[in-house]
Amino acid sequence: MKIVVTVKLVPDPNAEKRIDTSTKRLVRTGVETVLNPYDEYALEAALQLKEKAGGDTTVTVFAMAPESLKETLRKALAMGADDAVLLSDPALEGSDVWATSYAMSHALKKIGFDLLIVGGLSDDGSTGATPGALAEYLQTPLVTNVRKADAEGNSLKLERETDTGYQTVAAPLPCAITTALTFGEPRYASLKGIMGAKKKTIAPLTVGDLGLDREVGVSGSKTALLAANPPAARGKGQVVEAADGATGAKAIFDFLKERKLV
Amino acid sequence: MKNVLVYVQHKGGVTPKVTFEMATEARKLADQLGGKAHAVVVGKGSSQLAEQLKSYPLDTIHVNDDADVDTFLLDPVVDYVEAAARAAGPSLVLVANTLTGKDVAGRLVGRLNAGVCADATDFKIDGGKIEAIMPKMGGAAITTCALKDGDYGIATIRPNAFSAQAGGSGASVQAIEKPSGKTYTVRIENDVEEGTGELALEEAPAVVAGGRGLGGPEPFDTLLKPLAKELGGAVGASRAAADAGWVPYSLQIGQTGKTVSPNLYIAVGISGAIQHKVGMRSSGTIIAINKDGAAPIAEFSDLTVVGDAFAIVPELTKLIAASKS
Repeated sequence: MKIVVTVKLVPDPNAEKRIDTSTKRLVRTGVETVLNPYDEYALEAALQLKEKAGGDTTVTVFAMAPESLKETLRKALAMGADDAVLLSDPALEGSDVWATSYAMSHALKKIGFDLLIVGGLSDDGSTGATPGALAEYLQTPLVTNVRKADAEGNSLKLERETDTGYQTVAAPLPCAITTALTFGEPRYASLKGIMGAKKKTIAPLTVGDLGLDREVGVSGSKTALLAANPPAARGKGQVVEAADGATGAKAIFDFLKERKLV
Repeated sequence: MKNVLVYVQHKGGVTPKVTFEMATEARKLADQLGGKAHAVVVGKGSSQLAEQLKSYPLDTIHVNDDADVDTFLLDPVVDYVEAAARAAGPSLVLVANTLTGKDVAGRLVGRLNAGVCADATDFKIDGGKIEAIMPKMGGAAITTCALKDGDYGIATIRPNAFSAQAGGSGASVQAIEKPSGKTYTVRIENDVEEGTGELALEEAPAVVAGGRGLGGPEPFDTLLKPLAKELGGAVGASRAAADAGWVPYSLQIGQTGKTVSPNLYIAVGISGAIQHKVGMRSSGTIIAINKDGAAPIAEFSDLTVVGDAFAIVPELTKLIAASKS
């Protein structure tokens, strides 16, 4: 089985973000770009499936990011992915979901897969719509928010979270899934993994390799970002020391009353 | 793009509140764009739900009780929404920003060749052009995003951001034909409801959330639940509490959990790490109860009470209960 995991390289989610209102972009100074920590869950799912399936199952990591971020992908290889493909092209800059998923789908068709695990849960401006759009362009079934997965012959048995509970579903291969964080904590890269990752391949792709029949990037997008502003400042409010429960409760109650919240 | 189509997410006819918020907003947008407001409801219980939706200001409700919608994962839904969008004509499709809604929106991007504005909290119509206002990067930026010219556009709608208002002269309910020539392969074998079918946390007007400072699972029931109940709200949690297994992940608020914007947010024993902050910072009023006055949460709370939550919360619950009687 050939498993492909799409990952994103994002500004460190644990850093406080600021927006530059003139460029409408994130201020990158002092914010490290990392392998999206939530994509490590998708990769963990892939590695677990590989371990269970054994045989000739492989895990390939795919990212669309500037070439300068290539080495950031090594972490995924250190965790245990076999190889990686990096789609880089200035022409992709500013692509919206419509354009991104279109370009990605062509790259993924070129790579080929039996199981596609789409990562991408992040806070850097994502829409949550990319997996669905990819599935449409790839004409492949999609099962999202998977917390348990078992391969049975040519199909998958999956447990997925829903808005109000969970479901078990059966899906044929090839298929695309997204994972929930409840799938399990991602493993740490071992020292051996880190050393081994240095020798693994990160194959480059550019837009020219994809044979796209429409434009991507800002002008090849269906949405346009008009403005990005910081939210109204939320200053530090009152701080009250409460010697006992009654004092604390009264402070809150009075505050709620003043704001007509009780 | 002058019409508006609402995809109605539901289970057996039970739909979250955001549906009515979208139906109300659809009317306003359609009036400004000079088009009609449509909704599409499919799956078991749809006819009954359509009757309920008639009290909202829509023009046409497209309905089919097709059981395939409940048997196969999402593919039939996408086919029906596409059919309804084609029937409605060039339109803006509104979808709730829920797990299901995000999936539907993504599929429609490819299906309708449309751009998507995600997690919209407001709209502006400027000379017939649709602009959505959306908090991004965990609320670090408020962005304005325009849908470029084209037949279709999609917006996912943040629950609790728009108001729901019944009214209108009664929509016409129309049967929508089952899309033909489709085979569905992803079968739902078991479907378990853990809640009431409502999005309790995202839609609650008040949220009382607990964190590491609560020390275990019990206080969520004994301390937070009674307070949430008095406030007519819901209980939430920080990632630390969910990771410790004290509450299910479905209650987790933050970057990897849910985003909420209630009128009132009370954080109990939560330090306020960025992970948590991004999921709740757009709340109306934020109150923190923490034993550490230097915790980051104090920096963005309207009121921070430094003290023992185990003593304060029961007293507060009593005060609120007494004020009602």
